[in-house]
Amino acid sequence: MKFDGKIVLVTGSSRGIGAAIAKAFAGEGATIIVNYVQNANAAEEVVSACKTAGGDAMAIQADVTSGEQIKALVDQTLMDFAKIDVVVNNAFKPYTFDPDNRKQFWDLEWQDYQDQLDGALFSTYTMCQAVLPALKKRTQGSIINMASDLVARPTIPYHDYTTAKSALIGFSRNLAMELGPLGIRVNCVAPGLVYPTDASRKTKERVKEMIIAQTPMRRIASPEDITGPVMFLASDWSRFMTGQTLYVDGGLVMK
Amino acid sequence: MVLKAGYLPGIDDDAVEWQTLTYDRDGHAIEVSVPLLSNEQMQDLSERIKEASRQHLKSMTVSDITATIDAAIARLLDRNDTYRQQAEEYLPLITGYDAEMIRLGLTGYLKTFRQSELRRFIAEDFGNPKILDEFQPLPKGGYGKAYGPDLLAHIWAGNVPGIPLWSLISGLLVKAGNIGKVPSAEPLMASWFARIIAETDPMLGQCLAVVWWKGGDVDREQALLNQADLVVAYGNNDTLHQIRDRTPITTRCLTYSHKVSFGMVSKAALDTGKAWDVAHQVAYDIVRYDQQGCYSPHVFFVEQGGAVTPQEFAQYIANELDCFEEKFPRRTLTIEEASGVAAWRQSEEMKSFSEENASVMGDAGGAWSVAYSEAEEDLAPSGLNRTAKVIAVKQLDDVPARIAPYRAFLQTVGIAAAPEELHRLAEMLGAVGVTRISALEHMTAPEAGWHHDGRFNLLDLVTMTEVERSAETAAEAFSDYVD
Amino acid sequence: MTEAQIIKTLLNFIVADGATNDDFNALALQIFAYQFENNIPYQRFCRQRERTPRTVRSWRNIPAVPINGYKDLMLSCCDPESADRVFMTSGTTKDGIRGKCYHPTLSVYDTSMITAFRQRFMQEHPKLRMGILFPTEQTMPNSSLAHYLTLALNEFGADGSRYLLTDDGLDREALFSELDRAVQTGEPYALLGASFSFVHVMDDMERLGKAVSLPKGSRILDTGGFKGQSRELELDAFYDLLEARFGVPRDHCINMYGMTELSTEFYDWGNTTCPSVKSGPHWIRSQIVNPLTGDELPKGDKGVLVHCDLAHFNCVSSILTEDAGIEVDDGFLLLGRAEGAEAKGCSMAVDEFLKAAQG
Repeated sequence: MKFDGKIVLVTGSSRGIGAAIAKAFAGEGATIIVNYVQNANAAEEVVSACKTAGGDAMAIQADVTSGEQIKALVDQTLMDFAKIDVVVNNAFKPYTFDPDNRKQFWDLEWQDYQDQLDGALFSTYTMCQAVLPALKKRTQGSIINMASDLVARPTIPYHDYTTAKSALIGFSRNLAMELGPLGIRVNCVAPGLVYPTDASRKTKERVKEMIIAQTPMRRIASPEDITGPVMFLASDWSRFMTGQTLYVDGGLVMK
Repeated sequence: MVLKAGYLPGIDDDAVEWQTLTYDRDGHAIEVSVPLLSNEQMQDLSERIKEASRQHLKSMTVSDITATIDAAIARLLDRNDTYRQQAEEYLPLITGYDAEMIRLGLTGYLKTFRQSELRRFIAEDFGNPKILDEFQPLPKGGYGKAYGPDLLAHIWAGNVPGIPLWSLISGLLVKAGNIGKVPSAEPLMASWFARIIAETDPMLGQCLAVVWWKGGDVDREQALLNQADLVVAYGNNDTLHQIRDRTPITTRCLTYSHKVSFGMVSKAALDTGKAWDVAHQVAYDIVRYDQQGCYSPHVFFVEQGGAVTPQEFAQYIANELDCFEEKFPRRTLTIEEASGVAAWRQSEEMKSFSEENASVMGDAGGAWSVAYSEAEEDLAPSGLNRTAKVIAVKQLDDVPARIAPYRAFLQTVGIAAAPEELHRLAEMLGAVGVTRISALEHMTAPEAGWHHDGRFNLLDLVTMTEVERSAETAAEAFSDYVD
Repeated sequence: MTEAQIIKTLLNFIVADGATNDDFNALALQIFAYQFENNIPYQRFCRQRERTPRTVRSWRNIPAVPINGYKDLMLSCCDPESADRVFMTSGTTKDGIRGKCYHPTLSVYDTSMITAFRQRFMQEHPKLRMGILFPTEQTMPNSSLAHYLTLALNEFGADGSRYLLTDDGLDREALFSELDRAVQTGEPYALLGASFSFVHVMDDMERLGKAVSLPKGSRILDTGGFKGQSRELELDAFYDLLEARFGVPRDHCINMYGMTELSTEFYDWGNTTCPSVKSGPHWIRSQIVNPLTGDELPKGDKGVLVHCDLAHFNCVSSILTEDAGIEVDDGFLLLGRAEGAEAKGCSMAVDEFLKAAQG
């Protein structure tokens, strides 16, 4: 299997896209660190699903915005598994995608932006700092950061959320530049609207229909649609790609 | 496909016993037949070469000789020439080295034997090159002329393509007759060169021969040693010891033993802009001919205090080696070579358990390894075949004292440092026995006219005949114009 | 598991018959987890190899320590101070450092030795009159071989069994009288010792024109090779000589292959052909690997031997030897030491450098 013996750390993987990514890696033989912050039961369910799928998994609780907790997570992973091959920074600050009740720019406070920056950027920054010594020692590794296609096409202007994801792409490109000479790759996956997830549950049918109408593939992404490109960027198949953003939205964004 | 090695002027191929060497790398088997002379044939050949050397070579001018060599080298540089094409096709199969590495390596190497470079080479050792052609006035008074031996015997070793050309060309430049013994590891290049010389100038072609015997065939070796006026031998200490012991006492024997070379990187080279580039140069020196050369680096002393730490620099090197594996893949190792690498890796791993920050980078099954240490480690060879050690040091000035005990094994040091550091270090390194200092990325490509192991390649081959001033003065008394 | 639990489990495992592959694997993984937890240098080694009890599923993937590791690392789960016995490797290696193997108890070592020795050497004999060509355990308290031979004599030696080496060397009179007695009585006799001791004895016998024909059922056990302590002999020549001097047919000349870094020995079924097929009891398994990658090689390829000896529970069970071998049906062929190579060019290799640097 493609990921036999590989250790894959996925933040926020007790549910939604993260859980789908974890299970998909496990199906290719990987061992998954299922990170979660609140829902231990859901995380354990993902762990057993991973084992059923043919991989191994272990759930570790950690708030990705806490440097201390992230360090503990990385330490524990290394203690049990001795290495980390792939990191998927998937966790983000809870955000409700509700086009009808979104805040307009003049309603937003800086703290809204700050919260999203913390959720998307600070958490990724913290994880990268914590995991880097282990990756540098092996001069290999793949970091994948989850962005959004809203960055290229803000169909609905979720200012704070999308600005933070934009920053994440800039962050990733700089990191790719720095880590390339050390053999470590950094890329982004930018999904479109993914349904169903907890975050997208409130998205109205009308909006979905509008997106579908403009999407060449004529449907909305499921969590499983996102896993393929993530695994591609984690694998040797993409060994000469770094600093890239793959849009996974059925062709809504083309660039 | 059977290729023929060796070059035996004046001896009929059918009169000689031929043996077949088989090279089987990655499924491409190739056979080379090599001539095995009887002791009588060796004696006969020696006398023939000596005679041709006396009759023909000694009367040529150095300019004539360099022109012939230049023409021969030009053919080896010409990618449309059949010899060049054979070299590009077969040397990779015989040695296992990557074809592209050999192609680029040959060109870079052969360029150092063009006429202009040869003249520089001679000027390095003889202030006045005409001293090889005729008696020249000496600064101390009187006249002198340098004579090469009638028969210079070369005993070559190793598989780095083309290495034998160094001493063979040196021999020709001082007008020596030459018989060279090629190693089984790479018997072709010297043979081809000899044939091109013969094709270029048939008379000069009578003055050199290329022979073979199986390493350790004491009997055959003795037959050549007995005939030679001067011996140049390459190999490990045991081999050289035996050759020297068997060389007649009246015959000089110049030996070139195995060496260890290393690199030094100053913190001045370790800023975030330049460190990557330096790591690339370091990796190139490691990759070239898989560290089989005496100038190949085993260890890099890297100074702390730069923006890029020695440890990060070691990681840069690791990644560069990984990249080079795509460009110039390492040759397939024999089980013995793999054991050597494994033993080195394992011992480095063991050290890393008791030593803070020490580590070994690279997969055990991969084509390269980089070990890193911050301990006060001494110089030691790596496991060869793209294995290197990075040792962090407080300051480069401390390094010469650490390597001083290994004087007998030192050769090249590749340095990345600021000018004043370079000159200060050169002074210290020279004092402990280092004979060559180069830039990184140039360690494995010595410049034309370099002094191999610090010796005078050409001067060492000649004897001077001096006409002292007293003879001149005394002769005056016997002139018919004396008053 | 605790040390006491491991010991109890092992003792049962060794004496029980019919252990399956799964049984071996399960116990190997338990012992690996025990060593990983209780032996920090070994844990570091495993981490460097990126393998932990959590990721290793088969005994074949347990990180094997190169035997040289015993010289650099303290490989013991118990406190070395509390060890019942320490066996040391011979001090003949180039750096002169001796590796140490600590045994908190010899009960496992002894049970392992006795069980396998009975099956592989004694076979049909409950006891045999024995002569030992090796120093006593008292003379060499840190030698595992001395202990092994003492155990053989105490457990399986019939009355009159004795050592034939004294502090001054071979007790020739005693040896000859034992040999002559065996010939006269027709009682099968067993001669055991280091391979090089046999060479010395046979050289001595040749000088004196001595040869005997020991009674049917007599056996010889040699071990350890010549190690520069006697002249080197081709194996075929060695066993021909044994047969000629002692009248013991080559199929009754057993070679034992063991090492300080193991608690279990390998044997062949006689040396009619050399190299003979070696095999061990059910609590030790071997692999032939590529020395560089550690990857197992296909059957029939020459590589380096890795042994996983469950009985060596206190140090490390899995070791990477420097012995070359080939896997065959029912065991492996031992092909001597795997040597490193000299550089193909003019670069210096480690061995040559060490030799030169030491003058």
